Amino acid sequence: MSIEVENLTKTYNIKKRSTTDNSIWYFRAKKYSSMTAVNNISFSIPTGNIVGFIGANGAGKSTTIKMLTGILTPDHGRISINGLNYKKHRRQIMLKIGVVFGQRSVLCWDIPVIESFKLFKDMYRIPEKAYKENIELFSDILNLPEFIYKPPRLLSLGQRMKADLAAALLHNPEILFLDEPTIGIDVLAKAKIRDFVRKINQERKITIILTTHDISDIEALCKKMIIIDKGTLLYNGTLEELKGEYYLSHQKEVYQNAAMENTLETIIKNIYEGDFL
Amino acid sequence: MKKYVDYIIIGMKEHLVYPSAMWAKFFSKILYLYLQFSIWNALFSSNSQINPVVNQKDTLNYIVIATIISALIECNTIEWLNAQISTGNIAMELIRPIDFLKMVFSRHLGDSVIKIVFYCIPLCVITVMIMQQPILCHTQILHGVLSILLAYCIQFLYSLIIGLLAFWLIVTWPLNMLLGAIYKLLSGAWIPVTMFPDLLYKINLFLPFRAIYAIPVTIMTSQMKASAIREAIITQFMWMILLYCITEIVWTIGKRKLIVQGG
Repeated sequence: MSIEVENLTKTYNIKKRSTTDNSIWYFRAKKYSSMTAVNNISFSIPTGNIVGFIGANGAGKSTTIKMLTGILTPDHGRISINGLNYKKHRRQIMLKIGVVFGQRSVLCWDIPVIESFKLFKDMYRIPEKAYKENIELFSDILNLPEFIYKPPRLLSLGQRMKADLAAALLHNPEILFLDEPTIGIDVLAKAKIRDFVRKINQERKITIILTTHDISDIEALCKKMIIIDKGTLLYNGTLEELKGEYYLSHQKEVYQNAAMENTLETIIKNIYEGDFL
Repeated sequence: MKKYVDYIIIGMKEHLVYPSAMWAKFFSKILYLYLQFSIWNALFSSNSQINPVVNQKDTLNYIVIATIISALIECNTIEWLNAQISTGNIAMELIRPIDFLKMVFSRHLGDSVIKIVFYCIPLCVITVMIMQQPILCHTQILHGVLSILLAYCIQFLYSLIIGLLAFWLIVTWPLNMLLGAIYKLLSGAWIPVTMFPDLLYKINLFLPFRAIYAIPVTIMTSQMKASAIREAIITQFMWMILLYCITEIVWTIGKRKLIVQGG
């Protein structure tokens, strides 16, 4: 499934309060000011791509992802997923997307993971055969049997993330949103999760949108990336193009600092600092 | 439909996870029943005046039935919704192809099944052993059950509305404490509404609280005219429909106002 986004905008209202006033008047909020979290973003993602979605803290990544998944309603703009939109075809879209938020869990806290899986099986009307196949496949790669009979409150962070990843993919979604899926995960587990994501993408032609602060995730998985900062779109294109453009515009410095490694990480760091584009 | 059945089962399992919490709840219910029973007994025996409106037996019946029903009807939807909204975990429920409100109701239903089995039935057994006299009005039991079911729905919808206000207020349990005090008094869960002064009684006619305890308990315990029963049940029904409409409105508007807390 493809995603098209046009002129997406979301603003939050926040109370304006003095930061220095410690008297009782602090509580007298004078005005509301609006903060634009996402400002007029447009992009499109074709079917089967893995796209890295990056930006500094508070750049508006999560807000965008939440609008793309239909949790938040945009103030302006249009999101269409394979030509469908959230206003009219909410349920249809929901059946086709899978979401993993690294810092939240979809699993019922007190109940064995397998019970949550069974719930999703009924919720998405997954045929028995497909369900079994998926569980087997995920068991192989993600070591599910190790922890599937325990409730999430007894799992380690990595195990919980694996369980969440499996839960998001049970119903064979056509789009997968991964919001920081590797925070707090050790190197080995990270490599496994990456391999798994890559494999799923290749075998099932799933469109994947990945936000992360781990540049190595992006390098390992994504061909394309979208960079946003302060709610506006800075870059949308392939990794190679970004590197190429960067080298072109920074030729001098690159020659001067031949020793300096111009890896993706430094490029992105410079972009966050407002150096490029 | 099957997914909601799953949610009912999950609601049941979630209640059963911590046995120690269940035992504590169970004993607190028994203690509460005993307290209510003793207080009202003491009140009547210390006051020898004969009151034509309320007599000891009716009042005790009322209080006991109200206590048993409260074990079933009470609902933690407000706290649950508050937690979901203030932590932002509600996001994880909104990405599902389900009706959120139906999901909440299914969970509550599962919770209630456990409450009936583990709290209500034992309380009934204990009551029957202590009271040693018929407390239910046999001819009206069917109406009573219908009325309890309606009360159950009204209580749930009421909790849902207060809980959903968290879309605007983020934390609504303090509001709930305020409303809770009014609720406990006016619904007749503590004191039979027949004892209210005239003014309070009239105010109460325009509030939904009466429909949660006073109406079903009265139907269960005291002989009423057929027309009065019909009127009472219709009142409940109206409140249920009204609250349902309010819930839908609050939900539709609130959903748009949602800001997912905590990134």
